[in-house]
Amino acid sequence: MDKIILDHVSYIYSAGTPFEQKALDDICLGIRGGCITGIIGHTGSGKSTMMQMLNGLAKPTFGKVLLDGYDINSTMEDVFEEWRILPEYASLSDRKAKKAIGAEIKKRKAGLCFRVGLVMQYPEYQLFEETVFRDIAFGPRNMGLSEEEIRERVLEAAVFTDIGAELLDKSPFDLSGGQKRRVALAGVIAMRPEVLVLDEPAAGLDPLGRSFIFDGIRDYQRKTGSTVLIVSHSMEDMARYCDDVIVMSGARVLRKGSREEVFAHVEELARTGLDIPQITRVMASLRERGVPVPKNIYTVEEAVSALKAVFAEEGTK
Amino acid sequence: MKGISFGQYYPADSVIHRLDPRIKIIMTILYIICTFLCKSVTSFAVLVLSVIALIMFSRIPVRVVLRSVRPLLIIIAFTFVINIFWSTGEQLLVEFWIFRIYAEGVWNAVFMFLRIFALVTGTGVLLTYTTTPMDLTDALESLLSPLKKLHVPVHVFAMMMSITLRFIPTLTEETEKIMNAQKARGADFTSGSLIRRAKSLIPILIPLFVSAINRALELANAMECRCYHGGDGRTRLNVLKCHTKDMVAAILMIVFGVGLVFLNFVPFIYVMK
Ligand SMILES: Nc1ncnc2c1ncn2[C@@H]1O[C@H](COP(=O)(O)OP(=O)(O)O)[C@@H](O)[C@H]1O
Ligand SMILES: [Mg+2]
Repeated sequence: MDKIILDHVSYIYSAGTPFEQKALDDICLGIRGGCITGIIGHTGSGKSTMMQMLNGLAKPTFGKVLLDGYDINSTMEDVFEEWRILPEYASLSDRKAKKAIGAEIKKRKAGLCFRVGLVMQYPEYQLFEETVFRDIAFGPRNMGLSEEEIRERVLEAAVFTDIGAELLDKSPFDLSGGQKRRVALAGVIAMRPEVLVLDEPAAGLDPLGRSFIFDGIRDYQRKTGSTVLIVSHSMEDMARYCDDVIVMSGARVLRKGSREEVFAHVEELARTGLDIPQITRVMASLRERGVPVPKNIYTVEEAVSALKAVFAEEGTK
Repeated sequence: MKGISFGQYYPADSVIHRLDPRIKIIMTILYIICTFLCKSVTSFAVLVLSVIALIMFSRIPVRVVLRSVRPLLIIIAFTFVINIFWSTGEQLLVEFWIFRIYAEGVWNAVFMFLRIFALVTGTGVLLTYTTTPMDLTDALESLLSPLKKLHVPVHVFAMMMSITLRFIPTLTEETEKIMNAQKARGADFTSGSLIRRAKSLIPILIPLFVSAINRALELANAMECRCYHGGDGRTRLNVLKCHTKDMVAAILMIVFGVGLVFLNFVPFIYVMK
């Protein structure tokens, strides 16, 4: 089963006022566990809204968000009938069962943000502690872990995000933009979420800063086998790091599938105004000129090996 | 445009929305005076009719206007009760225990209720619902500009007010964003002892202050880069102009007030002393 399922999810901002705005319109989606899914779309297509729905920060106006099959916004009344017959509640009286189920739901709600770690857009504004170390430790501390465990997680997160030991004792306000971004990312990774959601993690960073961030995310995904969702504007990054891609446009999902499937509809993407990777365009025009390179090339590395193959072929002729 | 939703402003296309904001401020003051002029059943009836007419002209849903009365319900109820029980008069209606209720008391209570009601809804419809905060500051600056002769820095005050108004929605949005970011890291603002709850605000307040200070510095820089140096000799993008319809509206309001005074002399049912 898919790790995350959005079941007919709609979201309306300022419902019932003249400023009403439909940010998501009847979205149905499944997101595979254990891989990196990229979400791409124009500004205002509802990406951020969708991401905030995954850890319960925003509740869908209509529809359900399922994590491992459990509706994360369910109330006691929703599940009572279903859970009443489970062995741990079956023997209790109605009143006690209600109380126990209510407590369980509350516990799940509180734990949700640790299971689904959300890094918001431009997350550097969330830094507030005296030192980088303490700031990264904020999440784990809220989880109620021991000091030892907190320390271990902070150091681990710092390694993933390439934050050197010398930075840990500095004030987060003295860092560069890219470093702040990495500290904010580490603050979420330190909670070891099974689902890591990143809203435009590399927006506004230079190419080096981008690859620091994305490499860190990929390392985390590979080592922990967690599910990762990345919102991005850049097709290049999507092509390089993502297994699946979701294309959003105007509050709806335009296309969803593996990287290859989605990028095969290059013209459609171009029509919504999204850029296809530069290298894919270069390869397409090479093919038009008769160079026999394959169609599905999205990264420079793939292009290099494809061209090498072409040259080798010509050499043998 | 999320920013405009700040305050009570309710966007619609109506005669009142389009009036000159300066005239609207003057009319509001006149209207407040009018509500205090009323003394008789007939004048209060006309006052209520005027509230209904204003709401209809402004094209604002009644439900929205009534919402502004809700926070005042306690005060209204309180004055109502005080008036009923503490007024004395000639016509005794009921008497029990230590209380005596007179007809005059009941009338006074009803009048007081209508007065507060008209005051709140009238000023709302004439001013706050139909005028953007920016227009309001511009109008205030224009109306107070004679004070410049007395060296009162009217322009500076108006600029401070419009910057404040401009940034309230921005800061609200920012607070929400920061709260969300900290909630995503498991911060809990709602449970625990008072001290714990106060402490849990630190992760919100520090980023908020940092960004507000940065924003202020940036804004000051941006204004200086555009050679801002106060109000002298500055022209405006939107110049306030008083049209015939504005004058007509103001005159109507004066006529309305005079009419109310005359109605006070109509000895119908009850006239307040
Ligand atoms: N707090 C908000 N209040 C009202 N409307 C909002 C708010 N946040 C976003 N929107 C609107 O919802 C739509 C989707 O926004 P968002 O999810 O931020 O898109 P994206 O992240 O794809 O740029 C936009 O049209 C935006 O104007
Ligand atoms: Mg966004």
